[in-house]
Amino acid sequence: MFKKFIILIGISLGLGILVKQIGMTSHQALAISIFCVSVLGTLFFWNFRLSFVFLGTSILLITRTIDLENVIKFASLDVILFLVGMMVLVGLMKEAGFFAWIVGLILRIRNLTANKFLISISIISALLACAVDEVTSIIFIVAAIFEICDYFEVDPTPFLIISVMATNIGSSGTVLGNPIGILIASKSGLTFEDFITKAFPVMLLCLAVMLVIVRLWYRKTLAGLEHKMKELGYNEILVKLISVPPEKNLKISLGIFGVTLFFIALHHRLELLWGLEPNTILLTMPLLSSGAVMIWKWRKARDYIEKDVEWWTLLFFMLLFAQAGALKYTGVTDVLAKNLAGLAGNSLSFLIGIVLWVSTIGSSILDNVVLVAAFIPVIQSFQSLNLNLRPLWWALLFGGCLGGNITMVGSTANIVALGILEKEKNIRMTFFRWFWIGLTVGVVTTVVVWAALTNLPFYK
Amino acid sequence: MKVKEIMKKEVISVRPTDSVLDVLNLLLKMEISGLPVIDEEAKLVGMFTEKDIISHILPSYIQNVGRFIYEENPKATKIKLAGLNNIKVSQLMRKEVITTTEDTTLCEVARIMLTNKARRLPVVDKSGKVVGIVARGDVLKAFAKEIENPR
Repeated sequence: MFKKFIILIGISLGLGILVKQIGMTSHQALAISIFCVSVLGTLFFWNFRLSFVFLGTSILLITRTIDLENVIKFASLDVILFLVGMMVLVGLMKEAGFFAWIVGLILRIRNLTANKFLISISIISALLACAVDEVTSIIFIVAAIFEICDYFEVDPTPFLIISVMATNIGSSGTVLGNPIGILIASKSGLTFEDFITKAFPVMLLCLAVMLVIVRLWYRKTLAGLEHKMKELGYNEILVKLISVPPEKNLKISLGIFGVTLFFIALHHRLELLWGLEPNTILLTMPLLSSGAVMIWKWRKARDYIEKDVEWWTLLFFMLLFAQAGALKYTGVTDVLAKNLAGLAGNSLSFLIGIVLWVSTIGSSILDNVVLVAAFIPVIQSFQSLNLNLRPLWWALLFGGCLGGNITMVGSTANIVALGILEKEKNIRMTFFRWFWIGLTVGVVTTVVVWAALTNLPFYK
Repeated sequence: MKVKEIMKKEVISVRPTDSVLDVLNLLLKMEISGLPVIDEEAKLVGMFTEKDIISHILPSYIQNVGRFIYEENPKATKIKLAGLNNIKVSQLMRKEVITTTEDTTLCEVARIMLTNKARRLPVVDKSGKVVGIVARGDVLKAFAKEIENPR
């Protein structure tokens, strides 16, 4: 622990001194050092990440590296409130039994075969991650996988890996799947419709590619499952294992969630129609719905806010965004953007490649929100260089989501799923058991995105 | 009134290496909900309750999946029940235990129980050795006594 702390301080301090030596100002060097502490803090001291950003942001303010007004501006309250609203809605859906209904749906698949199981868990994982956040969706998919694998007496690990990878891929399909989706949407001006028309099809393509790879990779496991399915016969017990009370609550909750999604999907058109600022409807819809929910369920309103909203994570995001903002405020990102563009010879294709691969590799080790928060001001700075930013935003989104598949700690969904696996089945994932398949899927899907972004005129 | 006047001094305890199945049978036989876990030096190392067994038997994610009804017992539950004999108390016990001391007052021990939602508190000495146990029932009996004999 002490050694890690010394490494963290050493690297951060060293980086600050280095950039000062090459001509940056003291404020720029400090902003870089403190951001570096926060990034390395998430890597070495995950449980202390909030204290690190609290301390770091305070230092930035005291040293006048950034002023209070800009800390508040960069903290992106819009994104945070959107996430709060969505978390309340997801809490309501959970309580109403929506997710248990999804689990039941998987358990009730008729004439289950190994292939059918593989395809359905992948597609359901991806689509569920599109509609709600990936961390919520993975818990339910894992629950379904465990029930089925227990029933047929097979190791659930390969299927868990597959569903996590489908979840990470799926989370890039809409604004709702991953916090980086809404973060990118709010900073880039991309709409929900843009995500559906541009990101969703590529996500489906990546999912198909992943299915082909895992079908080959786990062919023996699938053959084993197929054999067990034939041996143990039809899954009568699974079909009636769990039920969800068909209550009015579930229907009303589904209605509220459906209406929210409907308005979110049409937000851009409605904003144009009503002359509202871009993303106003997108960001306020979850707030409107969760506000209504808190009137409907007023006795539980406090529980929704205190238990379903992950304040620990959200506060970390806010202050991290503020620290990334300090990089922009002090001009660090402008310097970085200029150098990156120079390196790429002002070629957009080359720059797309850099953003995509750096974010893919970066998010395989770091939390993707940390990486995207740092990258956003750099991409914004490209604007002054007269570059088309749109393909770069998509590169950042896909890099941030697909990179999560490469290592077992690449995304929160991986960590949550592997935590359950260890607790429930006493199976501890080893780095390389995940890494080889993760690397294959991660690299191949990123190549697919790279090809799409650089070759299809649609994305230019 | 102090804890030493109301606590039970003969403490039945279990060892971290005891099997969960044996302790489950002990809990059922004694009709109580939990027992302190002590090491060779009689020092408190944890608390083992029936809640720990139930939460082990059900899936760990159960509290995150929201509302549904189990119509059958899942196979995983059956597997876990069959394996209770091979699991040690140390694997399921709660290691952070709220304790009290012999000189704590009646109202203070009642406050600790209420605010920590604890049914029974191990009473420890300065070295961490268990010297007694005080349950909600003991506290209530002491209060009842005070009603009968108000000072």
